[in-house]
Amino acid sequence: MGTFIQLVIDGLSTGSIYAALALAIVLVNQATGLINFAQGGMAVLSAYIAWVLNGFGIPLLLAILAAVVISFFLGAVIERFLIRRFEGGDPDTAVVATIGLLTLITGLCAWIWTYNNRLFPSLFPLETVQIAGAVISVRSLGTIVVIVAIMLLLQALFLGTKLGLALRAVAINPASAAFSGVNVGRNLMVGWGLAAVLGAVAGVLVAPQLTLTPGMMDSALVYALAACILGGLSSPIGVVVAAWLIGVLENLAAVYVPFIGHDLKIAVPFILIFVVLIVRPQGLFGRKAVVRV
Amino acid sequence: MSTNRRRMRVASVVAGIGIVAVLAAGCARGGGSPDSTDEGGGAAASPGITDESITLGITTPLSGPTAGPGTCTVAGITAYFGARNAEGGVEFGDGNTRTVEIEALDDEYDPQKAKANYDQLKSSVFAMTAGLGTPTNRAWLDAAIADEVPQVLIMTGDPIFSNQEESPWQLGFVPIYQNEGEAFGELLAGSAEEHKVAILSQNDDYGEGYVEGFKTAIEGADNIEIVKELTYEATDTSVDAQLTELAGSGADVFFNAMSITPLVISSLQKAQELGWLPSWFLPSNTSSPTAILEPGGAAAFPGVYTVAFAQSAAAPTFAESEEGAAFLEQLNEYADYPDVPAFPHCVWSYQIGATLEEVFGNMTEPTRENFMAALRDVSGFTAPLMLEGSTVDTTEDGQPAVSTVQVQKYNGRGYAPAESWDE
Repeated sequence: MGTFIQLVIDGLSTGSIYAALALAIVLVNQATGLINFAQGGMAVLSAYIAWVLNGFGIPLLLAILAAVVISFFLGAVIERFLIRRFEGGDPDTAVVATIGLLTLITGLCAWIWTYNNRLFPSLFPLETVQIAGAVISVRSLGTIVVIVAIMLLLQALFLGTKLGLALRAVAINPASAAFSGVNVGRNLMVGWGLAAVLGAVAGVLVAPQLTLTPGMMDSALVYALAACILGGLSSPIGVVVAAWLIGVLENLAAVYVPFIGHDLKIAVPFILIFVVLIVRPQGLFGRKAVVRV
Repeated sequence: MSTNRRRMRVASVVAGIGIVAVLAAGCARGGGSPDSTDEGGGAAASPGITDESITLGITTPLSGPTAGPGTCTVAGITAYFGARNAEGGVEFGDGNTRTVEIEALDDEYDPQKAKANYDQLKSSVFAMTAGLGTPTNRAWLDAAIADEVPQVLIMTGDPIFSNQEESPWQLGFVPIYQNEGEAFGELLAGSAEEHKVAILSQNDDYGEGYVEGFKTAIEGADNIEIVKELTYEATDTSVDAQLTELAGSGADVFFNAMSITPLVISSLQKAQELGWLPSWFLPSNTSSPTAILEPGGAAAFPGVYTVAFAQSAAAPTFAESEEGAAFLEQLNEYADYPDVPAFPHCVWSYQIGATLEEVFGNMTEPTRENFMAALRDVSGFTAPLMLEGSTVDTTEDGQPAVSTVQVQKYNGRGYAPAESWDE
């Protein structure tokens, strides 16, 4: 029983990091209708900013908060001066632009900080607590709590605030939104800024575990995209649940399904995706989009 | 376009990326394919060498996840020959003094790119050397044989490169994985106590080689029992589940045959979280004291052992020694590498530079054939920064240039030689 609980909590913790990135992708998608493949790279850049600030002697928590604020502006600036050139055109072109952005940011980080692994201090202590015979690290629990808090905030933002409503309106129909007096440009910038903030959170959560390198988020991004599709791109709660599901099922399948084992566990999320997409193309929690013609 | 269609399209893009990721995980092993032949050797001087200079080619990962060790492979040898060139050049056995130029290309640890890099370099360089990676080096093994281009002193522990019949134009530099695994096994088998061993290994030639060597050495030792054996993929972001499972085995010795730096750190941390405190065996390329053991909190374990043939630049005493200080200075000056390297590959490729200089000194003709003959005739050569007891010896078929390794035990700062388990 101890092992089982251990695997579940560890899975939730790993899943939470996928979830932070997935939430950022959902946010951009909800605000602009785009999938931002550069999200992982932006998260790494944010983590480097926090690391540099911390290196200047600024306490870790403050450094992270400062990095979060800087990331918001970076995200907004990227939207305003780069992505906006592609908005309103073919969405595929914009997707390719974000892939280019990913390569650019990764290259930039490598150029400035090299590919050497940098040690990033953890927000949470290395201590552990005992739960039902399992040894659970405070870090795992902390990661999970942070993600739950963010998920609830986001859900409240989209469903309970004017800004959230405006963000959704801009995504669904920019032209109509503009006619209704919504400032489309500003909302797009805010959407990207908020997404960059989420990426920053994901970055500082994962950096202590993987050490800071320019390619740190590459595999997490693949899982995050999987979570987006599985959970449904329109639902913050959906993607978090999906990311957790991926993390936990991966762990359990590796240990309890001999056929899969640790070697094949990377395939688990993708098998899940295929199954879900066949049954529910909009994802587990997504809404079917209906267009009146 | 309706939102639904857009979503479907996005879904298909993502699914496609997923498939690529799965394939990439499965295709860790590269295969070589015979390629068009190119007239390589000749009676006159071979390509890439004049009376004044010689050019060496390198293909190695300079970007992507393996870029850390990859950039280190270029930095070490560039530093070595940078310093030599500044002194006027390297003396060759044919009486000429030549400067040594390095041409390094990025293969991103991708076998296809490595092959393309080789094709680009083969007619302009004298020999290919120092590049890191088993699948990448294997990708152009056959082509190098067909073209008669030396592919020597490369950084892979795959035994195929040191087998003269299969690889007449090749020679590995670092000990084959089996040798390192065997050294651990011998140390443990010599212990007076009973031991239960848990093994976690990378699911490719690297991990298999280590485990194979270890098992060979403990064959017949009745005080050793392997209680649990698991694997992981080099693409995994977490091995927490494996550690949890292995901790349950109650092993007192853990052989972690892992090549991915962050995963070793998180393994050390995870084991402590689980309250599992075995003795550790770590491969030579993932046992850096400052880059891995300190952040992983390795001092909590009764013993952390590694095998090495070269000094660790990350050890606290390194910079205090004359050789170490010179190395760090040259690395900064000639290779633009200001940090103390966290990877051993910088030191290794520096030693490759020294080994090549030794070989150049014995070359009587500026040809690739003559170079290979001189290369296979180095014995008992002590390259700079070698640990006592290790030497470069290229005369034994089936073994790479360096085949003797020392088991070392972590002492909280750096490493000290470990003659036996119970000391």
